[in-house]
Amino acid sequence: MSRKSVSRKPEIFWNRRRKILFTVGAAFVYLLAVLAAGMLMSPERYGINYSAKFTAPCLEHPFGTDYMGRDMFFRSIKGLSNSIAVGALASAVSSLIALALGLTAALKGGIADRFVNWCVDLCMGIPHLILLILISFMMGRGGRGVTAAVALTHWPELTRLVRAEALQIRSARYVQASYRMGKTWFQVAKEHMVPQVLPVYLIGVVLLFPHAIMHEAAVTFLGFGFPAEIPAIGVILSESMDYITTGKWWMAVFPGLMLLAAVMLFDAAGENLKRLLNPNSGNE
Amino acid sequence: MKRSCGVFCVINFWMKKACILCCLALISAGMLAGCNGKGKEKEKEKDSADSIVCYVGHGFWDSSLDPVKGGFAYGYDFIYNALVRVNAQSEYEGDLAESWEISEDALTYTYKLKQGIHFQDGSGLTAEDVVFTYETVMANQGQNEKVDLSQVAQVEALDEYTVQFTLKEHFSPFLDSTAQLGIVPSDGYDSDSYDRTPVGTGPFRVVQYDMDQQLIVEANEDYFEGAPQIQRVTFVDMDNEAAFSNARSGQLDVVMVQPSYVAETIEGMHAERLETMDVRNISLPCREPEMLTGADGEEIAVGNPVTSDLSVRKALSIGVNRQEVIDNAFNGVGRPAKGWTDNLIWGNTKEYEDSKTEEARQILEESGWIDTDGDGIREKDGIPCAFEIYTPSDEPDRYLLAAAVAEDVQKLGISIEVKQTTWDEIAVKSYTQGVVWGFGQYSPMVIDNQFRSEHFITQTYGNPSGYQNETADRLIEEAIAANSQAEAVAAWKEVQNVYAGDYPYLYLVNIEHCYFVSDRLDISADTQIPHPHGHGIPIICNLKDWKIKE
Repeated sequence: MSRKSVSRKPEIFWNRRRKILFTVGAAFVYLLAVLAAGMLMSPERYGINYSAKFTAPCLEHPFGTDYMGRDMFFRSIKGLSNSIAVGALASAVSSLIALALGLTAALKGGIADRFVNWCVDLCMGIPHLILLILISFMMGRGGRGVTAAVALTHWPELTRLVRAEALQIRSARYVQASYRMGKTWFQVAKEHMVPQVLPVYLIGVVLLFPHAIMHEAAVTFLGFGFPAEIPAIGVILSESMDYITTGKWWMAVFPGLMLLAAVMLFDAAGENLKRLLNPNSGNE
Repeated sequence: MKRSCGVFCVINFWMKKACILCCLALISAGMLAGCNGKGKEKEKEKDSADSIVCYVGHGFWDSSLDPVKGGFAYGYDFIYNALVRVNAQSEYEGDLAESWEISEDALTYTYKLKQGIHFQDGSGLTAEDVVFTYETVMANQGQNEKVDLSQVAQVEALDEYTVQFTLKEHFSPFLDSTAQLGIVPSDGYDSDSYDRTPVGTGPFRVVQYDMDQQLIVEANEDYFEGAPQIQRVTFVDMDNEAAFSNARSGQLDVVMVQPSYVAETIEGMHAERLETMDVRNISLPCREPEMLTGADGEEIAVGNPVTSDLSVRKALSIGVNRQEVIDNAFNGVGRPAKGWTDNLIWGNTKEYEDSKTEEARQILEESGWIDTDGDGIREKDGIPCAFEIYTPSDEPDRYLLAAAVAEDVQKLGISIEVKQTTWDEIAVKSYTQGVVWGFGQYSPMVIDNQFRSEHFITQTYGNPSGYQNETADRLIEEAIAANSQAEAVAAWKEVQNVYAGDYPYLYLVNIEHCYFVSDRLDISADTQIPHPHGHGIPIICNLKDWKIKE
């Protein structure tokens, strides 16, 4: 009996690993498609067309049009694409900062460790949205401001993770051995620490992404991010608020759903990757 | 209800033990108070036939109501009266003043006050109150940016009902200042309490003012022109969209809306579009790019290589299709404008036909703007015929307007990029790029502000086009120094003739203020004055004439 069940198992196509890979694949395909579509799209697709003001969703305009007759479908894609670009850049920068600070803290110890911890506490102590607004405002708002704000505020959590991982193996024998063999702390970090923290780090980056996108949209929605002339999800959503009382529901619903889908897909991808890469659950 | 509640409490009183008595007494007291409150509320509901709730925008919510500090410097009767006011024909008429005289040398203004006018606190209005109000403002000019009295040398009471102003120098728009400043009582004035509970002579007195929330006024039964019919008016502050929703659910009698909402319908309300003198224009920097030294010695980049060319400015002005821009941006609300409105006594706009696309193209080509690379945008000496227009991010209407213009002038081969930003940045950007402005006031000093060359850079938002014209400067000085109103008006009109050919501003639209008004309310359209710039507030200019229909 037990043999039977064992022999049957591989026949199930949707085993856990495949499911996970499929989810992760779907998430990346969706995001890459949106990103590419937005970047390659000609601005005329979401250009002004006053003869088609406030068209409800139809075949020609699947997401309807806004108060300037701009097609909401293409505008939302372009906006989401902008948001994803900002999110990608921001999580790349944030995660590199986190890696550098986390490893330095763990390996150098002493004052460096205390300083990094102090920075982490400082950043986490300030409400995130306020910090975002402050930085964005300081950098002159607009695309530059919001990108800088999102990039510079998402590192503390990841820094803690990286530091904790690195601390675990700091006193391992092979690490101590490489020190004895005359390797510098930088070499140790590069050769022993980075491979060790990589799974945690990668998952962290992926999970950072939805945060970054949401925060970009939030800061823009509040008026401290992208200006109105650039299509961004936050701009689109805040504009739609002006017309929601007159029943133009499509201006808010569809872009909102697209943002939600992007964020949830990324979240699902991150969670699934975590299961796959984590040695404890990876072989379940 | 009140009685039954009391009886219940009395029965309780005898039945319960002594130790609970205290508690019960407290509770019953509370209940009695509650009953009283409810009784009062019922009374209120009963006379809600005489009271209305309005939303007229955010304008006065963040500032003091004290006229000494610039509160309600709009020039119409509400809580206060000024010496003179503007009537529906845009002419000045006496308000608190019965008549006024201007001396031969135009340095002395003498106002005769009406007799028997009382403040809302019961004290009588005399010349002393007028002198007190003006002297207080002059002593604290820094607190009042709305009414500029720096030209006044002296204010004195000649007798109980005569006030005489002596000016330091000729200043023909002084009449406008006396129309803006409400008079407060000299005895009762208190700088702190007048921020919230001021006392004036006006048709309405303040009952309650919660900053950024609500202002409640009640009719002044003793108003010298007769008590208003509407007993109680509540002004609420909220978002435009929230106000619209509230109006839909029947909670507002008057609601200001943006033009894009006019096509909507609200049950029990009708849309009103009211005439204004408010004109939207785009400043087109007239100077060649150069560096100027500012007041603090800093270098400021000014000028624009494209708009400094007269042919570009002229092509824009005659080539743009204003009606289509208005249709696209404002749902067709507003009138095409090519200058100041003719509902102003000094308005003198040279009318011309617009949307002359062919002629505009020809002008551009003659001066060397030719599309050589076929991208739809003209070039001259390697410079593309393109510039930016900035709009404040808190006023989406101006963005819509600029975007519609940009869309429309593409046909001329001119590329305009529309951007939104803060007022602080606009002040700087206006030196080199276009900006959407809104202007509308009774005082012709707006011409001085917009066209006098010395205001460029030195005055915030002053002469944003950097317009330079010696004849215009001289005429503006003449107008200000004029001896009589007629002479001043003639000079102001002449200035407009002088700058008309230079097109320093692209005038677009004379906006209309849009409201939804409850069908039970009559806002007395005949006595509405043309609205000055005021984001919706000016509808209350004749609040005292409003009536609730039976």
